[in-house]
Amino acid sequence: MRKARLPGFALAIPAWVWLATFFIAPVAVVFYYSFGYKPGLFGTHATDRLSLDRYVEVLTPTFFETFVATMWIALAGTALCLVIGGPVAYWMAVKAPPSWRGLLLALVLVPFWTNFLVRTIGWQVILAPEGWMSQAAQAIGLPAFDILYTRTAVLLGVVYNYLPLMILPLFVAFDRVGEPLREASRDLGANRLRTFWRVTLPLAQPGIVVGMLLVYIPLMGDYITATVLGGAKGNMVGQMVAAQFQTAQNWALGSAMAVTLVIVIVLSAAVVGGLCWLGTWPLRRANRVVLDAPEEVTA
Amino acid sequence: MSAPTTAPTRTRTPRRPLLDRLLPVWAVVVFVFLFAPIIVIVVYSFNTGRLLASFDEFGFDSFLALFRKPVLMDAVLVSLRTGAIAAVLATLLGTLAGIALARRPGKWTAWFVGLLILVSVTPEIVDAISLLPWLVFLGQDLGLSIFNDGTVRLVIGHSLFSVAVVSYIVRARLVGLPANLEEASADLYAPPLRTFRKITLPLAMPAVLAGLLLSFTFSLDNTIVSSFVQVSGATPWPVYVLSALRGGLRPEIAAVSTIMLVLTLVALGVVALVLRRAGDSSTQIARTLAGG
Repeated sequence: MRKARLPGFALAIPAWVWLATFFIAPVAVVFYYSFGYKPGLFGTHATDRLSLDRYVEVLTPTFFETFVATMWIALAGTALCLVIGGPVAYWMAVKAPPSWRGLLLALVLVPFWTNFLVRTIGWQVILAPEGWMSQAAQAIGLPAFDILYTRTAVLLGVVYNYLPLMILPLFVAFDRVGEPLREASRDLGANRLRTFWRVTLPLAQPGIVVGMLLVYIPLMGDYITATVLGGAKGNMVGQMVAAQFQTAQNWALGSAMAVTLVIVIVLSAAVVGGLCWLGTWPLRRANRVVLDAPEEVTA
Repeated sequence: MSAPTTAPTRTRTPRRPLLDRLLPVWAVVVFVFLFAPIIVIVVYSFNTGRLLASFDEFGFDSFLALFRKPVLMDAVLVSLRTGAIAAVLATLLGTLAGIALARRPGKWTAWFVGLLILVSVTPEIVDAISLLPWLVFLGQDLGLSIFNDGTVRLVIGHSLFSVAVVSYIVRARLVGLPANLEEASADLYAPPLRTFRKITLPLAMPAVLAGLLLSFTFSLDNTIVSSFVQVSGATPWPVYVLSALRGGLRPEIAAVSTIMLVLTLVALGVVALVLRRAGDSSTQIARTLAGG
């Protein structure tokens, strides 16, 4: 009865072709470059001799320290976003009057939709040692701000910039649990803490994981925040990679760094995910519901 | 929500738990934190001084600079133009892919989703450094002069991540809606194209709109890829700001940002209105925007 159907993936072909041409192909080329070397002062890359030497170079302490520092900032930033944004998302989804929700969500979205760079510059103005905030602090006897261009400033900027990306999925996750289930839990005699621990949190867990990934992954590659608030001291991997291409003109090393960055992101996300899974094992075990009726009751 | 037919309402203990009183306080603190730099930028856009960070006097000079300095206006226009084209392109590709993922899953899905995940976990800087040599290769070595055009380069760079995001959002929306309506339409002898136009597309519409808006925002925000692939004469706004950062920021930057903030608020309001008229609650809107 039916005429010949298009294959299922037909509608995905345009997107596939686009991504193959402008994502897979260029990234594959960079992957290839990463096995090459820098020939002399004026060349950017050569691939007539292929080796893993650039990766060895990336793993030397000079460069690898930056990887570790970036990962530290990314992990700390993600954890802080979770700790700061979690209660807000919970309040918005569970405790706040439902009629406020639209407004509250808009309040989270406005900073998210303000230009990333401009928001960060706003912090630069606030934190400036000679700015009015600093003067106000001095007026009431506090020391002048001197955190601009330090790791603390970078961390603050990073938490600020990625906080909406944590609040939104957490809000959706907490909201999805729904009032009826919480009510049921309370009706069945669980107190508030128990309801949170055994109903709300386990059901919201996928959203929490999504939020953490949404913050952690872009944060690992971000270097704009560090450039604006960290100056020279807030060195991130992204800055290092960019410098290899823009100033040092060593494309082979830069490519190896870029590939290592992607590997580090995927591996560390997997490790953190695995640790979270292991860490919540007692929780899941305690929450396990045995659906089979006990023998003695059925007998 | 449920009708209180069963138990008579029990009078609650008047004292609310401490946590319930602390949560809104914490939320207020976080909202102040979220808005602090934005308010600072808006206030400092009325600074008549030479440097952004040192407030001199209140005035509108910085807004007038927009008319005196064509560079500023050009950068904003490049950004808006690129954003519009990149958003439409990414939404088109992503919507089709998302519909295919939701309605025609098969063996190919795993591969395609794998590609989308790879695109979305790849940091911007990696896209940037790989696109630059590639575009030079296409434009100069292969002689495809279209790839030497500034807008084309920016659109390509901005579209990659957005295609993945739109695909996720549209897929998530359609997976949540059973295919009953499409099946009914086909049973009533509507040709596939009409079913697509009259049923599938309207069902996916809120997600399509959210995707369009998100892509536009991502494009306006994109700094890293832009700074690599841009050609002189087509510098987008964030790259202009980044280069201004090195030479000392002037209040004009804040003025332009304030104007763009107002435009964003208007756009946000319009989209919220459209989504609401399409029957979405604010929660559903957030759900759509958060991708599921």
